[in-house]
Amino acid sequence: MALLAVENLTFTYPGAAAPALQNVSFSLEAGSFTVMAGATGSGKSTLLRLLKKELAPLGQLTGAITLNGTDPAAVPAAQVGYVAQQPEQQIVTDKVWHELAFGLENMGLPKKEIGRRVAEMAAYFGIEAWYDRPVSELSGGQKQLLNLASVMVMQPGLLLLDEPTAQLDPIAAADFMATVHKINREFGLTVLLAEHRLEEAVPLCDRLLVLENGALPVNAPPTQAAAALADRPELLCAMPSAVQLYHAVGGQGPCPLSVRQGRQFVTAHFGNAVRSLPAPPAVHSEKPALALQGVRLRYQRHLPDVLQGTDLTVYEGELFCLLGGNGSGKSTLLAAAAGLAQPYMGRIAVLGKPIKQYKNQSLYRNGVALLPQDVQTVFLRNTVAEELADVDLAAEELPFDLSPLYDRHPYDLSGGEQQLVALAKVLAARPKLLLLDEPTKGLDAYTKQRFIGVLRQLQGQGVTVVAVTHDVAFACACADRCGLLFRGQVVSVGVPAEFFAQNAFYTTAASRITRGYYDGAVTVEAAARLCLLNAPGKEPTA
Amino acid sequence: MQSLAHHNPAAVAVYFAGVAGIAMFCMDPVILTLSLVGSLLYFAVGGGRGGHWFGLLLFAAMAIAGPVLSHNGVTVLFVLNHNPVTLEAVIYGVASAGMIVAVLYWFRSFTAIMTSDKLLYLFGRLSPRLALVLSMALRFVPLFGRQAKKINAAQRALGLYKDDNLIDTFRGGLRVFSVLITWGLEQGVVTADSMVARGYGAGRRTHFDIFPFGLWDGVLTLTSVALTALTLAGLRQVAFTYYPAITISHIPPLGWVGYAAYALLVLLPTLLQGKEALQWRCLRLKI
Repeated sequence: MALLAVENLTFTYPGAAAPALQNVSFSLEAGSFTVMAGATGSGKSTLLRLLKKELAPLGQLTGAITLNGTDPAAVPAAQVGYVAQQPEQQIVTDKVWHELAFGLENMGLPKKEIGRRVAEMAAYFGIEAWYDRPVSELSGGQKQLLNLASVMVMQPGLLLLDEPTAQLDPIAAADFMATVHKINREFGLTVLLAEHRLEEAVPLCDRLLVLENGALPVNAPPTQAAAALADRPELLCAMPSAVQLYHAVGGQGPCPLSVRQGRQFVTAHFGNAVRSLPAPPAVHSEKPALALQGVRLRYQRHLPDVLQGTDLTVYEGELFCLLGGNGSGKSTLLAAAAGLAQPYMGRIAVLGKPIKQYKNQSLYRNGVALLPQDVQTVFLRNTVAEELADVDLAAEELPFDLSPLYDRHPYDLSGGEQQLVALAKVLAARPKLLLLDEPTKGLDAYTKQRFIGVLRQLQGQGVTVVAVTHDVAFACACADRCGLLFRGQVVSVGVPAEFFAQNAFYTTAASRITRGYYDGAVTVEAAARLCLLNAPGKEPTA
Repeated sequence: MQSLAHHNPAAVAVYFAGVAGIAMFCMDPVILTLSLVGSLLYFAVGGGRGGHWFGLLLFAAMAIAGPVLSHNGVTVLFVLNHNPVTLEAVIYGVASAGMIVAVLYWFRSFTAIMTSDKLLYLFGRLSPRLALVLSMALRFVPLFGRQAKKINAAQRALGLYKDDNLIDTFRGGLRVFSVLITWGLEQGVVTADSMVARGYGAGRRTHFDIFPFGLWDGVLTLTSVALTALTLAGLRQVAFTYYPAITISHIPPLGWVGYAAYALLVLLPTLLQGKEALQWRCLRLKI
């Protein structure tokens, strides 16, 4: 029996010209794991919120939603669990144990029962070790796990997840996904997950829904759904690398989803007589735009060094990506380069001049600009137009068009739009060195591609770009050179093709698919070209 | 009974209310001495942290200020700047300094034991709603501070501070403050969603805490109440005056009982701490 049935759902926000959801029909079997993909603004959040009566937006609704055979309005809050994107803002109380108990307190359960359920859930999620800690001490990944656990204590029958890993680093995201999958497998809990990050989620799911502009063109088991996307590049770019590769080589047979299936697909259909593509020589100017020499930095005297004698040189006109795990010092390095954190040893030179010689904020005039991780910290005004007027920025100076957003409040924009508006404000100071802190966090695949285009344009105008990121695929797609920061030291630097081919774990899915079979195929495009060169019936040319 | 840190916060609060309440409102020299000794001893053996400079300075300042400001009393020791300095005022100054320092140390021990979640639990017993509001406030206040720092850094790196001057810095501060308000409201929307999504406001709330009230917590509470009552009863029987001359009334047996009760009360946490340490030594020897 279907746990949830949605029939011909159409929903229009008050005052909106077009409906946010149009004739959406689907059903969820009890115990199934369903992934809902779709670009920002395609209606994923609206749909999820309509399924949860407490969060349902106001507007005009036609069609029917049936949950557990009844109207969702009759279902108590505890029955439908909901976890949103922001790890921090969803937490209500100050202590981990209190947060776990919050929902049960609302249900009016007796203290003994709460104690039992909370203990059980804390043990299951492995959060006993931080049970009595303040929530402010938790990492982003831990916060999101806590949000999930505090929903799970209420023993819901349906779990709705709205891009829960968008703000997490890849390792925390994988942990979170694994936990969700485990819950689904071990308790038969029905899960509906809206997600941009599909590399891990798609291979795990039973059914894949794809929303596009409020309609639901794809609703099928993942293998079929992925195979049906051949002529939809804007939807395909969000799919796992194996799926993209399958379509790029005009795939036959069942569509691979995971890295493992991707490897099997490549080895079964293509030879490897040609193992690598000719690599264009890497060229860069010899003038350093940013040079760090033996930089040591700590935030307080009794704390350990965050940067431990870091050396790094980025040349003028380069697009450099610095990768590294949580706490490796990536953001600190940027803060130091932007003059926001002072090292106690070592030298930092920006555009050929030691950073200490920039007096009176001159560093930020035609010099350095930093786009922070939390782009909301950049906004000060009530509309985008005011934001831009604030920094004396004419629209035609920008490499992208923001005019459709002028009347909106910056906080109401989607993550990708916020990123672009913030970038516009940053560019107003006409920096020669642009520092980006996790620029792709929370962006969907299509917006990410657009963002890479913008960075390339800036590079063409002579701006040096340094981005620190967790996003391996982004770094691989846009960087001229990459570096890996580990425990406050840059341990390796190279052009992406070498850099990611050498890494076995910290690398792209395309590289993992082709590793040992082809050399240096770190992007889907490179892997696809190699596959086609090695296609059966084609004479090896190398 | 165990050391106070391991007891239910309500029992601990009752204890401190008794011991510090008496110390605060009573100038009886015996009580003051007991209170001072007890508070310092407990601070030393219990989890008290930090230096003693402030306590010492406060004591000295109070002890000196007393006779300098007050010229009551009949026994003039000497005359300073045409003002008599009296023995009674000196003794009264020392006594009130002792009282203040004793109360200070009781409170230092109290704050070391009563972490924020324990205090919250106490308020929660008064009102679950107040407890939730406090818990949310305790989370939001540091969050605001951190966000303010982040916004300031972001604005600086955007080049929005034109020069290193005071007016510009002040303007920047105003900007940060205004954007912080917007951010806070935005935060509030998500938090409110998260609250209703978990059924807040749907019915009667219960209140959960992680501090069980066991048999020994009851014993501690009753002991504290009994000893405090005995002390108060005893104090009614004795009269001690500082001015104009120091006089001590006859102390009846109940008075002595009161002193003994207070002595037990002030030493109770130290004794419990000692007992626990001894217990662990014995346990370790057996292993």
